[in-house]
Amino acid sequence: MQTDASVHPYPAGNSSLRRIALEAGELGFDSIVAVEIPRQILGGIQVLSGVIIKELQIKDVIAAVKKKERSSDVIFVNAGDNSFNRAVLTLSGVHVLRHIHKTHRSSFDHVTARIASERQIALDIDIYPLVHLRGVHRQRTLRWYEDLVRLRKHYPFPLTISSNAHSVLDLRSPRELINLCALFGMSPEDVESALSALDRLISPQRPVEEVS
Amino acid sequence: MSPRPPSIRDKRRYLLVQIFPRCLRPDQKDLYLAVQDAVTSLWGDAASARIQMAVVAGTYGYGIIRCLRGTESQLATAISTVTTISGQLACIRSCALSGTIAALQRRGIPPPACLPSPLDAEAAFDGRTFAIQCRDGEKVDLIEKGFKTQELLFLTEQEIEVI
Repeated sequence: MQTDASVHPYPAGNSSLRRIALEAGELGFDSIVAVEIPRQILGGIQVLSGVIIKELQIKDVIAAVKKKERSSDVIFVNAGDNSFNRAVLTLSGVHVLRHIHKTHRSSFDHVTARIASERQIALDIDIYPLVHLRGVHRQRTLRWYEDLVRLRKHYPFPLTISSNAHSVLDLRSPRELINLCALFGMSPEDVESALSALDRLISPQRPVEEVS
Repeated sequence: MSPRPPSIRDKRRYLLVQIFPRCLRPDQKDLYLAVQDAVTSLWGDAASARIQMAVVAGTYGYGIIRCLRGTESQLATAISTVTTISGQLACIRSCALSGTIAALQRRGIPPPACLPSPLDAEAAFDGRTFAIQCRDGEKVDLIEKGFKTQELLFLTEQEIEVI
């Protein structure tokens, strides 16, 4: 199941949820994660409920995760410095660490990569800056993502891919995502795997438990 | 200048693209400038020269873009980074690739009658009045009727109330 890991419908963006779901279905997605929208099915597309935690202090993040854990399917936390990221990656309930490209290069190293791999918490590849930024800012983002792909070869943490679309014009098809992700050395197989990673994150495979 | 014999001509590929929003109908020059800007910005001057991008046709929200054979994936990647055409929000999606323009025209571009056209209708949404820019099946593109802002909204038929 191919999922766009975050979209922002009206009023955050200029497109309604129904329209985004319609366009995403035409582009080839099976589901989308809509931020701050309840879970539903629209036009055959499964809309998952996502929440973005933007707190800067870890205790605030813990409180926010506890508060939102039951009401949303996917919990994203915005990345911070290295110690913040390490602490976030050890929290239960967090699914995805996002906006890693907006932080300093030292904020995600081999130690955090290993924790993410052990805890199976995903890192988000946000396509928005690749499409909308130009020049040095886009180059910096590409370098960041290239570094993530390199770290992932040693520590296989999950990746998700999001268009972060505020408009239907920001959505990109899986084929376009394969082209864009090739810019930083991600193979088509890795892109396919990243597009279907949210399923595994939401309902992870656990050992069988004896109940009686 | 006499044309080169086929054996020493450049081999070309033609990409059929669709332009969104559907109400936007840029001319060939605007489309060329938008794509050229994206190609140069993403791949640099040297690679852009190798791609040899040219817009060979543009009509009714569709365009045919030419490139050198072997550079089509670079062109397609650059096309997906287009965000504006002549200052207006837009995106371009590649639909089909072929070795001849005729083959693309045969299989890709729908006849003009099937395409959405601008309408003189108004709709209310969220307590505001909008002009309906374009209808395409269930999809409706609206533009706000106002002096200060002209917000563009992408909705569906079920969400608006036609006045």
